[in-house]
Amino acid sequence: MTDPQVALLMLGIFILLVFLGFPIAFTLMALGIGFGYYAYFDAGRMWRAFNRLGEDADWWTTNTTWFEGFLNNRIFDLFINQTYTVMSNEVLTAVPLFLFMGYIVERANIVDRLFTTLNIASKNVPGSMGVAALITCALFATATGIVGAVVTLMGLLALPAMLKARYSTSFASGIICAGGTLGILIPPSIMLIVYAAASGVSIVRLYAGALLPGLVLVGLYILYVVGRAILQPSVAPRPTDEEVPDVPFGRLAVMIATSFLPLALLIFSVLGSILFGLATPTEAASIGALGGMLLAVAYRAMTFQRLRESVYLTVRTTAMVCFLFVGSYTFSAVFSYLGGEQLISEFVGGLNLTPLQFLIMAQIIIFLLGWPLEWSEIIIIFVPIFLPLLPMFGVDPLFFGILVALNLQTSFLTPPMAMSAYYLKGIAPPQVQLPQIFAGVMPFLFMVFVAMALVYIFPQTVFYLPELFYGR
Amino acid sequence: QAPIVMKMQTSWPASDIWMDFAREYTGRVEAMSGGRIKVDLLPAGAVVAAFQVMDATNDGVIDAAHSVPVYWYGKSKAASLFGTGPVWGGNANTMLGWFYQGGGADLYRELTQDILGLNVYGFMGFPMPAQPFGWFKGEVNTAADLNGFKYRTVGLAADLLQSMGMSVAQLPGGEIVPAMERGVIDAFEFNNPSSDLRFGAPDVAKNYYLSSYHQASESFEFLFNKDFFDDLDEDLQAILKYAVEAASTSNTALAMREYSNDLAKIENELGVTVHRTSKDILAAQLKAWDALIEELGKDAFMAKVMDSQRAWIEKVGYYELMNSPDLGLAYDHYFPGRLKL
Amino acid sequence: MLRFIAFADKLSGFFGKSFGWLIVLMTFGMSYEVFVRYLLNKPTPWSLDVSFIMYGTLFMMGGAYTLSRGGHVRGDFVYRLWPARVQAGVDLVLYVLFFFPGILALVFSGWKYAARSWSYPGGEVSVNSPAGIPIYQFKTVLVVAGLLLLIQGLAQVCRCILCLREGYWRRPEEDVEETEALLLKQKAQENG
Ligand code: NA
Ligand code: NA
Repeated sequence: MTDPQVALLMLGIFILLVFLGFPIAFTLMALGIGFGYYAYFDAGRMWRAFNRLGEDADWWTTNTTWFEGFLNNRIFDLFINQTYTVMSNEVLTAVPLFLFMGYIVERANIVDRLFTTLNIASKNVPGSMGVAALITCALFATATGIVGAVVTLMGLLALPAMLKARYSTSFASGIICAGGTLGILIPPSIMLIVYAAASGVSIVRLYAGALLPGLVLVGLYILYVVGRAILQPSVAPRPTDEEVPDVPFGRLAVMIATSFLPLALLIFSVLGSILFGLATPTEAASIGALGGMLLAVAYRAMTFQRLRESVYLTVRTTAMVCFLFVGSYTFSAVFSYLGGEQLISEFVGGLNLTPLQFLIMAQIIIFLLGWPLEWSEIIIIFVPIFLPLLPMFGVDPLFFGILVALNLQTSFLTPPMAMSAYYLKGIAPPQVQLPQIFAGVMPFLFMVFVAMALVYIFPQTVFYLPELFYGR
Repeated sequence: QAPIVMKMQTSWPASDIWMDFAREYTGRVEAMSGGRIKVDLLPAGAVVAAFQVMDATNDGVIDAAHSVPVYWYGKSKAASLFGTGPVWGGNANTMLGWFYQGGGADLYRELTQDILGLNVYGFMGFPMPAQPFGWFKGEVNTAADLNGFKYRTVGLAADLLQSMGMSVAQLPGGEIVPAMERGVIDAFEFNNPSSDLRFGAPDVAKNYYLSSYHQASESFEFLFNKDFFDDLDEDLQAILKYAVEAASTSNTALAMREYSNDLAKIENELGVTVHRTSKDILAAQLKAWDALIEELGKDAFMAKVMDSQRAWIEKVGYYELMNSPDLGLAYDHYFPGRLKL
Repeated sequence: MLRFIAFADKLSGFFGKSFGWLIVLMTFGMSYEVFVRYLLNKPTPWSLDVSFIMYGTLFMMGGAYTLSRGGHVRGDFVYRLWPARVQAGVDLVLYVLFFFPGILALVFSGWKYAARSWSYPGGEVSVNSPAGIPIYQFKTVLVVAGLLLLIQGLAQVCRCILCLREGYWRRPEEDVEETEALLLKQKAQENG
């Protein structure tokens, strides 16, 4: 067996173990060390001290020195070195801060204020409640980098309201699932930080690059909702005055000022200072977390209990993401040391693909991986397999990253691991069934592909803002 | 017999001109050993991060490294004295002379092996041209203008500029421009026009300041894992060692050609204003070195190294400076009006 | 065995949660840097070092805590369909093969790595800034995190054995839930 074949075996075993459901970070660590032991096995070096023992060495020294030889493999030093590299990774320092900010903000009763206000403001638009729900989600997405809470909060708030207004069950639940997933695409997205750390693309350029495609996707979602409401009014009837009261303009303005403005200020100070290069993402994230705390205090939603919850959740999610990095750094170092990366490059190079064919192939693979796996595993472990191939096809890793981020929207929506749909099912009234949710999600999945196609046809949607802000 | 494969990692990004310099070394090693040594030359990050090559060489994770001593000055500030230290009045060539003929190599061995217990050999090569003060978005004309900048440099230069009111971050070359875009730093120097150009400095700053005392001399450090080196046949050891001297000359020639070509490109094609650092800032730098030298001298080993350097420069510098004709005058004679000294 | 599990859960929880509060410190520390850097034009020399030391310590110390609460991501789309005993059997084998070797390497190599850092005169300091922020204690985190994971891993093995015997999983005492999980649970209680 040649070394590159061993590397493929390593990848194969890894995929098998993923199916067995063992925590992936530790699987990666163990495989990295195990195969690394083979890759770095060098008897001369490992038993150098043993071989240099004189004739007069006693029994004890002889045996312990011989045993120490087994532990003298360079993989152990490499493993520690890689682990320390993750621990001192400056880009990843923003991860716990943005998580913390997200956990604080989602506990600050912002979503319900926002939705109530927008619901009234958009009353005369076809499919008004759906539009209000989507805009609430999109705004909230610029304040949080995670998924989950938004779906459940909106599921508790907007879904019953829509059902009461006789919205079609699957239409309404599709809106919530798709809207609730936007937080991971629109900056400050944790997913993009993780992609930055995995690919070496500048995080600020990724944030700038994701902004327009994110808006394109939101726009397509809204277009779909409005269009469907016009063509088929029965799925989204106009709410009665009882369901959504008419509010005089003056009071509406006050509602907007108290619900939207503080959040907008927070968002602007965080995203604005990152994009204009006024502060590092880490610094901006800390300001966001601080601002989130102040906002929560202002809305009387800040309790010690909630702060504590946010802290503990931050630890767990950060540890989850960063241990994946610890595992994958060692795994991929060994994988490429054995020549696995090279083998894949040669294989893909031999297929004679056009750049478009390559992109489509890569995105289909990532889409399919999104069924069984979650975004963190895909970005940290599988996307790096594609990254070395990008220069071969002249694909900018920034562009690729945005396509991946769009694509992974689907990983929350497609079974069997459709987290958004499961969250919604969990809190929705019993008559809402999973098949209805999935049926409702389908058109939104289609919109994700439309957005990807648009981004591909008009790459300036990705490049315009980074070039504007950073000049290249 | 199969060749011995030496894994050598640098501290430079793959696109840096210093990878070409390192290739001049590895090419010489392979040619001189008649193929008995094959070098697997890797850029920063291929095995370990740029600042971790000393640890990795010590552990044997890599066999050799192409780096500079300031990158491991977290283990001892004295490391920087073998890379970029105080400006006593000599250039990098003078300091390389100190290393090989003035007692520097012994002191280096004492630091790495006796004091820090590192399992490595190190050799110095390629006396670098003095390093520009670097890249700023706006103009900096006086020492007071430097206040509040978050500036990238390395080694004792970091301590120096910190004492001049800047806040200093040390980053490997490949991380400078991303850090600038992220706002981690707002001004920086790396080393020379070619490296600076290749990692994209002109995209993020338009004022380039040449001439400075912060890193007036430096050389590459060629590191070898001690066990790896000791196990080699004597002639191969000699090849690894003396190829450093050979590459030193070829690097110098290549640097002359490329650095000056790229400076012209930076100045004429990319809209960068090239300045000489002001007298005010240079004077402040020397004053700051005074204070730093006194501070460092409290450490017995650093005092010993600096005494040795001072003694060398006092004698050699006197000879060099007294002896060298005013080249500016000659240049101005043949290319009038070009110099802005 | 139950007592050991409870002990490990408590220990991991104690370290993970205590070091979790670093996030609040980090929030204020970085906010302070923003204040002095952009408003007073006096950036600190230590913010970069301190931020990654806090981040690195936080997530490493949280590793065992996350393990005890089942928070490390797994591809469980097949796993979740199995009966508890099958899950426990598979987990038990995989813990022995794919958990302890890596964690033992973390402890022993981490020890070597940290010990070297302590051994330099005055201890190793960060190379990222001239502020001279010590990092030997930070490298020691590798060892402590490894030991905590080792203890928690043994507790997880005990869990597997108990589950094989009893046919159901012994869950850790819950202390906090994701918002969505909390809402899901509330809803379930309302409905049932
Ligand atoms: Na977001
Ligand atoms: Na420099």
